[in-house]
Amino acid sequence: MSEVILRTEDLNVKFSLRGRVLHAIRGVSLEVYKGESLAIVGESGSGKSVLTKTFMGLLDQNGWVDSGSIWFEGNDLAQYKTEKEWLTIRGKKIAMVLQDPMTSLNPLKTIGKQIGEALELHQGLKGDDANKRIQEILLDVGIKEPARRMKQYPHQFSGGMRQRVVIAIAVACQPDILICDEPTTALDVTIQAQILGLIRDLIRKYNLTCIYITHDLGVVANVADRIAVMYAGDIVEIGTSEEIFFSPKHPYTWALLSSLPQLGVKGEELFSIRGTPPNLFNEIKGDAFAPRNPKALNIDFKERPPYFDISDTHKVRCWLQDPRAPKVEPPQVLERISTEGGNLYEQ
Amino acid sequence: MLKYVGKRLLAALVTLFIILTTVFVLMRQMPIEGYFDNIDKADQGVIDAKLHQLGLKDPMHIQLLNFYKNILKGDLGVSNRYRTGAPIIDIIAGKAPISIQMGLISMALSLLLGIPLGAKMARSKYKFWDKIGTGFIVFINAVPAAVYYIYIQSYGSSMLKISMLFDPSKFLNWVLPVFSMSLGSIAYYAMWLRRYMVDELNKDYVQLAKAKGVTSQDITMAHVFRNAFVPMIQYIPSSLLFTISGSIYVESLYSIPGMGGLLVDVITRQDNTMVQALVMIYASIGIIGMLLGDLLMALIDPRISFAKKEGVR
Repeated sequence: MSEVILRTEDLNVKFSLRGRVLHAIRGVSLEVYKGESLAIVGESGSGKSVLTKTFMGLLDQNGWVDSGSIWFEGNDLAQYKTEKEWLTIRGKKIAMVLQDPMTSLNPLKTIGKQIGEALELHQGLKGDDANKRIQEILLDVGIKEPARRMKQYPHQFSGGMRQRVVIAIAVACQPDILICDEPTTALDVTIQAQILGLIRDLIRKYNLTCIYITHDLGVVANVADRIAVMYAGDIVEIGTSEEIFFSPKHPYTWALLSSLPQLGVKGEELFSIRGTPPNLFNEIKGDAFAPRNPKALNIDFKERPPYFDISDTHKVRCWLQDPRAPKVEPPQVLERISTEGGNLYEQ
Repeated sequence: MLKYVGKRLLAALVTLFIILTTVFVLMRQMPIEGYFDNIDKADQGVIDAKLHQLGLKDPMHIQLLNFYKNILKGDLGVSNRYRTGAPIIDIIAGKAPISIQMGLISMALSLLLGIPLGAKMARSKYKFWDKIGTGFIVFINAVPAAVYYIYIQSYGSSMLKISMLFDPSKFLNWVLPVFSMSLGSIAYYAMWLRRYMVDELNKDYVQLAKAKGVTSQDITMAHVFRNAFVPMIQYIPSSLLFTISGSIYVESLYSIPGMGGLLVDVITRQDNTMVQALVMIYASIGIIGMLLGDLLMALIDPRISFAKKEGVR
């Protein structure tokens, strides 16, 4: 694959909450390639949002990068402390689309002003030049009559339209990397497809590298070149979309895929993962998923598994890949992804 | 917009009518002893003559009708007891200016100090300035104003080497009463602005603005402060208009010949015409203040519109 644009090495992020320390990201090493679309999937609280927030210095005040590094354009972002340093990254190099478009725009400023703010900051555009560019961008994100619309306030836009505006703001900065933090979760299904299509078009047009954060595997199948599966603050499996969907190796990935509603049989209960994610206030021993894994090995409770390479692009953190491990077959139901995979992709 | 204002004004008239009528009727229920300084010594003939002269012998509805007739003519009447025979307009015109001047200066001072304090507190939440400000607000709200007013008066006047009582011609004599009057509203503005700003700072659009690369200085000023000020702007016209009523305690402490306490005075002395006139003025001010506040909100917040709803697309 092409060159690496951003790389984290053994990244650890901690939060202090009411006097206790929460270990939110536990040693994540991740490479993001230029021009790719990488999806980070995992359930709520698995650390997907936190991970990407560290790339922009947007952690809440009680959180910090404890150790490890984030390499971007030859600089280690993990060492950035001051706002001045981060302003060289935020918007300019890495931009973000947040989950809820109903709240992520300032209700008292026209959308033209909110897009213009980004243009002025990063491209020094003002006045008529800026207005012209704002209208171009609005057309780019599919908002018609831009001259009139740019003078309107967020409350005059519907949810889907607002998300288009948020995307317009992100694109206006002409960043290298676009982070989409659950961009469609708050939207209804018909709008979801439109927004995903829009993001895909813009990635092509502006040559962006895109990181999607989502827990919706249907979305992932639509947009991602590669998928990283996160569990309890760690990436347990990473590979190309085909590898993750058609030959997953980690029991957590199996469980996650088994719970796809598309794989359910009408009239039967949908599959769900037993138990709850581990409490990250406590030190985690061994494989974090072991307590919820009915087929866990003894060693899963004792020692944290290393990464095993399945192919050049596919690696998994799981003892099952050790040559000494017994052979465990993935659940039967996953075979249906192969046969009905088209269905999933069409979504 | 005009239609909305018209409706509100009409409703205001109805409100005013109800207030005035209620007060008018209540005042007539007071024992007649209140109209005399020395009722024991007056004989029945004198009492009857006085009551007749005040118009209290007429049936209630006639009295009420006369009252409204006079108001429509723009005549507030004369004071019966407070300053017998003096036109009420003249009494108010003599007292209101000093109260209004003091009130306006004090309000400007409160905004000038309270707003920056609140903003500073919000920006340094839980840190040094926030704690200092919280201490101040708690003190002002918890300690009865009378206590620190007296300290300010006695220590302040000896420090500034001025007399304890008010003298409008000397600048220094304005300082202490105006400062005392401001303390409460400084705390009020600071407390609410801090609260609204902290609310705004936690909203998603602040996160997005940060992600856009806006400096935290600009976020505070251009985004958060303005949005936080909107809910406060509503009360500005009312406080502005109510400067006319003066501050009872500060005015009596410094012997300022203002409006403070005037309403209480005339009620205790059963000066019907004065009570009615003052109630009408204060009630009108209250109603107009609220209306202006609402209109100001609409002017600043684009989400509020009195016109027909425009469809969302």
